[in-house]
Amino acid sequence: MPLSLATAPWGLLAGSMAIEANLTPLQGQGLSTIVFAGAAQLVAIGMLKGGAGIFSILLTTLLLTSQHLLYGMSMRHVISPLPGRWRVGLGFLLTDELFALTSQHDRQQFNRWYALGVGLTFYIAWNLFTLAGIVLGSSIPGLEHLGLDFSIAATFIALITPVVRNVPTVVCVAVSLFCSVLFSYWQWGSALVLSGLAGMMAGFVCNKLYRERT
Amino acid sequence: MMVWAVIFGMGILVFLNRYVFLEPRLPVRLSSNARQFLGFAVPGMLTAICGPIVFMPDKQLNLQWDNPYLLSSLVAIGLVIYTRNTLLSMLLSMAFFFLLRGWL
Repeated sequence: MPLSLATAPWGLLAGSMAIEANLTPLQGQGLSTIVFAGAAQLVAIGMLKGGAGIFSILLTTLLLTSQHLLYGMSMRHVISPLPGRWRVGLGFLLTDELFALTSQHDRQQFNRWYALGVGLTFYIAWNLFTLAGIVLGSSIPGLEHLGLDFSIAATFIALITPVVRNVPTVVCVAVSLFCSVLFSYWQWGSALVLSGLAGMMAGFVCNKLYRERT
Repeated sequence: MMVWAVIFGMGILVFLNRYVFLEPRLPVRLSSNARQFLGFAVPGMLTAICGPIVFMPDKQLNLQWDNPYLLSSLVAIGLVIYTRNTLLSMLLSMAFFFLLRGWL
């Protein structure tokens, strides 16, 4: 359960950033209640603020949360035999954290109630911290000048750095970084998606070449 | 109105992403290539988001050493490698960032 405390800065940020981007408190809370995906929420708020179109926001969301496809695939053997209600419920709650905590369980060890408990704990913690962020964001003016956007960078850097362990990933990150700065400098509307895809493609191709050689 | 459309659209997409492979009636599987490509989603997409935040504060390219975003990011990377603790590195690098901003 202490893991749910790790959602605190994110939730606070998601709440206060929503207010800062001129979303109503209800919309800010709605993001956490309906979408329930930290990175995608923060990015969507940033893009809304930057005036991005609905299509590019949804495409970015799809790409950003595509790791869930992999979680779904690896949890398939334990969750897909469950009744529909359980599948939908656990599917909705399937976050990075829940996956991290339950992915090693095989069919005997897997306890649907345990998974539900963990999932709900994260869901409730996430929404409470979002609410706190909304309250703080609306009562403290000028929160946007504090440079809260660095906390997004800090969080993502902390998530990316441990993943960068091999040459293809280094290439992926380098290409993505370079393209994102270049495309933003040229003020392309879909700079994020395009540079992300470019990085992923570079990593993928490099991975192919790398494997053939070894 | 647009905001609500975005919220519900995102909700549906994220749920579908999570649910689609939990559905027993779905016979298809991702090819190995698709899986490898998706494996680069986290570093690729998250880096693309960080890039402009770190290198272009105030929408201007800033490669000077007095760019607190750039310095703090380097500190963050160093902290993750040194401590191997995601949450701790995050908090410490944010503290560093705010100190640096106050000082510069």
